[in-house]
Amino acid sequence: MSKTIEILVSPQGETRITTFGFSGAGCQEASRFLESALGQRSGERLTADFYQDLQQQERSQVDS
Amino acid sequence: MSHIVTIQTQIKDVAALRLATKRLKLAEPVYGTAKLFSSEATGWQVQLPKWRYPVVADIDAGSLAFDNYEGRWGDQVELDRLVQSYAIEKASLEARRMGHTVLEQPLEDGMVKLTIQVGGAS
Repeated sequence: MSKTIEILVSPQGETRITTFGFSGAGCQEASRFLESALGQRSGERLTADFYQDLQQQERSQVDS
Repeated sequence: MSHIVTIQTQIKDVAALRLATKRLKLAEPVYGTAKLFSSEATGWQVQLPKWRYPVVADIDAGSLAFDNYEGRWGDQVELDRLVQSYAIEKASLEARRMGHTVLEQPLEDGMVKLTIQVGGAS
């Protein structure tokens, strides 16, 4: 899956950033440059994919 | 999808503000001290359509000073449009600076969707 960042800008100027195709905490890293450039963070939600990726990464580290 | 962040836009970049005024076909921002109804504000002034006083952006603080007398001296929608345009321009500038590709798409509900292809050639 290609790495994509989607930004929705509301008519009032509030922005919502969603990341796709990143693994684990990589998504937070990927969108950080936009967060700091755009203004004040007012909320964050980690999705189930985030935790699944994190578990997979931990399993890989244990296996290796 | 792995995480969703919500951000309250703050105007902190003159170049992006300039592009936002251009997008809205407004006069370019001018730096100086503006008189509002009962106060003064120093920063980058933008004159919105049918607004009695300019909106003044303090770039360092990321704050806006204005007095539209709760809509009587200027429609809030005009200011919202400016902030939306700024956010679009600022996000696009930053993404291109990182070497990403940006696709802009207006949506029916007034929202604008930017799709950033990470690592894509712009």
